[in-house]
Amino acid sequence: MQLKTAVEELLSKVKSIVSLSPQAEGYLVGIAKETRISKGSVLIRQGDVVNKIYFVTGGCLRSYCVDQSGREHTLQFAVKDWWMSDYIALHNNERATLTVECLNDATVIEFNAQKLNEVLTLFPEYEPFQRYILERHVVSLHKRILNQMQLTASERYQLFLDQYPDIERHTRNYHIASFLGITQESLSRIRAEKVKR
Amino acid sequence: MKSLQLLEYGELNECLAFNEIDKPIVRSQDVLIEVKAAAINPIDKSIIAGNLRALLPIPLPATLGYDVSGVVVEKGADAAGFEIGDLVYARVPQEQMGTLAEFVAVAAEAVSKKPANISFEEAAGLPLVGLTALQSLNHVGIKEHDKILIHAGSGGVGSFAIQYAKSKGAYVYTTTSAANVAWVKELGADRVIDYTHEDYKAIVSDVDCVFDTLGKHFTLDAFDVIKAGGKIVSVAGPLDERSAQMFGMSDYRLPVDFVTRCAEKKATYAFIFMHPNGAHLNEITELVEGGSIRPIVDHVYPFSKAIDAFLHLASGRAKGKIIVRM
Repeated sequence: MQLKTAVEELLSKVKSIVSLSPQAEGYLVGIAKETRISKGSVLIRQGDVVNKIYFVTGGCLRSYCVDQSGREHTLQFAVKDWWMSDYIALHNNERATLTVECLNDATVIEFNAQKLNEVLTLFPEYEPFQRYILERHVVSLHKRILNQMQLTASERYQLFLDQYPDIERHTRNYHIASFLGITQESLSRIRAEKVKR
Repeated sequence: MKSLQLLEYGELNECLAFNEIDKPIVRSQDVLIEVKAAAINPIDKSIIAGNLRALLPIPLPATLGYDVSGVVVEKGADAAGFEIGDLVYARVPQEQMGTLAEFVAVAAEAVSKKPANISFEEAAGLPLVGLTALQSLNHVGIKEHDKILIHAGSGGVGSFAIQYAKSKGAYVYTTTSAANVAWVKELGADRVIDYTHEDYKAIVSDVDCVFDTLGKHFTLDAFDVIKAGGKIVSVAGPLDERSAQMFGMSDYRLPVDFVTRCAEKKATYAFIFMHPNGAHLNEITELVEGGSIRPIVDHVYPFSKAIDAFLHLASGRAKGKIIVRM
């Protein structure tokens, strides 16, 4: 059995939601670029012009911003089958608010943002898939906001581990602490209590 | 650019001035840092008073400050390891002293990316004290299960040294005054000795090493508490022969009483001159990001109040670093 390429796998996912014409498939394949990213690489840097969207097929990316005082704040982690970019910059046609870095060696499919957008104009049948990705992202963000309001830090940490089972191998404590909105000291306490139980 | 300069040696409130000066020249091996924050240190006070004019001659007027945190805005052709926009910190080399200014040019090898989980202000307070502590404790080879006495645990160097020694798994005795016992204990010290009520020599014995930041009789007294074969490292006592050589003092010999005590205990004594080192700062970055070390800031002054910052330092009441924000 021949293994599918990452692009073929992505196309399978798209076709599981929408029917694509051969022309649409061919166009998508033409604009998709499979790339390996090394740990520590920066894909988007805060302040840069943003024109790329990444679909993660392996490894882990992180997006964060640095505030005026010089502290980092993690916005998102992206593992297999997640999309990553600076959507604030893309939507507002501004320079990047975020930095996107590779936390461990990763494989991604890189798209030019403008060309991916043109798919919607050229092949309207693709639109439900785009909507599905965005809705999935909005659902994830809404759940995160609700959890922030309702759950304890310990509960949110457990949900984080459930969502990203292997992620602690690739992340620093402060990445996770800032994602959860807690201090590193609190995270250490939560972990210690978990070990006791 | 704006700067705080020493015009002539003398009193703090008489010989400092805010001057407009040229931006520094960026050599091929330098990065130019836009200063976000700078720390002031006891050595700055000594320089202002003229106490170090023989050891560290500097042309006056001179911009003050050794510790910096900021953003790389320019880099020389040979400055490796950094990009424009990197957030960094450094203890600058002697000849590049002048972090109390809008910009400072620093040899790239002395610079490191600042810990991402702390602010510029917190980062600025780390280099000098961190390098002093790290280089001193690494000189004695601090390791897991070592017992170490670190004097002045509430001081900038001492508070870092406690955390560093604990990150290595050592058992830490430290001395401090009653007012500081609680927060020094929170740094992780195993036995905090309130020197206003306790005699540390009655409590500490047979330790593997003593880190002396006090000098005077404390340096020689360290021999009373170390084990046979123990190690004393100091940043405040007499020079050792190795460090004297660095200043061209080839005829210098360790004081006789030190030689005698070293022989009696088969111990070693070393004086450490802290030196700028980006690789060592990288290690500190890792420890801070990992949560093993946290910076301790007493107060942040805006640049316009930098002279007040020095007066605060001179009061001796600071618990943590005094920072100037640009």
